[in-house]
Amino acid sequence: MDAGDARGYRVALIADELVNPAARGIDGLAALEAAGWGAIQLPSGDYPDEVAAPLLELVAEQTEEFTRHGYTVAVIGGRAGLDEALAAYGVSGLPSIEPRSTAALTRFLAAQ
Amino acid sequence: MPGVAFVAHCLLNQNSKCSGGARCPGVYSPLVGALRERGWQIQQMPCPELAFTGLNRFWAVREQLDTSAYRRHCRRLAKGVAGAIEVHVRAGDDVVLVGLEGSPSMGVHVTSSDPERGGRPEWPDGTDELTPGSGIFIDELSAELAERGVPLPRATGITHQLPDHHGPGELDSIVALLEA
Repeated sequence: MDAGDARGYRVALIADELVNPAARGIDGLAALEAAGWGAIQLPSGDYPDEVAAPLLELVAEQTEEFTRHGYTVAVIGGRAGLDEALAAYGVSGLPSIEPRSTAALTRFLAAQ
Repeated sequence: MPGVAFVAHCLLNQNSKCSGGARCPGVYSPLVGALRERGWQIQQMPCPELAFTGLNRFWAVREQLDTSAYRRHCRRLAKGVAGAIEVHVRAGDDVVLVGLEGSPSMGVHVTSSDPERGGRPEWPDGTDELTPGSGIFIDELSAELAERGVPLPRATGITHQLPDHHGPGELDSIVALLEA
């Protein structure tokens, strides 16, 4: 890797509601930013299945490329259909968390 | 009224960049900060190059990627993104696109072009390849939205990989887009 490259080699598949938190919700994107992780945003739970399914496939396709190259990948929050989409690309067993607080999420990220 | 910003993948995940291109470990803060301060939601688009040529790809100009196969790949990704944009547009949300200027795929107003580039990847720093125009994914997304009868959202691009990048100017451009 180029010496000037600043990537963190850590990527989180993160639920939409943690990227776009409600008032007083957990700001997952801010936690990732502070911990030096990148984000792959999962489709909003508000999208109909016919919109979410192709987006989940694209998430899985990109995730496989990161796991194949040894990046640390984790799931934060998850989404219905994600496990099946990842399995179709041979990806399973990623560490995951349903964070109940920002502190818990920060500890999880630090432990990976 | 705040809306929804569809942003280039790498702006939330600099790990998707080709070697030497990552400006920070993960999330590109200036954009996220500007969107959050104004109450905009964020939706991340996929990285067309990551899934096609992989993490170990070389830097490339538009002509190197502009094949039928890459166009089909970008259209497949664009169908997914256009479906999501359509949901928001039909709901009456204000929607904008934030791409990446200079990118052969995600450029909005500036892409990269050099018909002669190829072979051994020697690419001295310089601006010769930068040219007005959009990238291939943005082309395909525009076409996909047009086929659906969905207007192309107003759009701009992050400029951090351009040689004349100016942070405050980039922020002004984002704010102007959001407030137009």
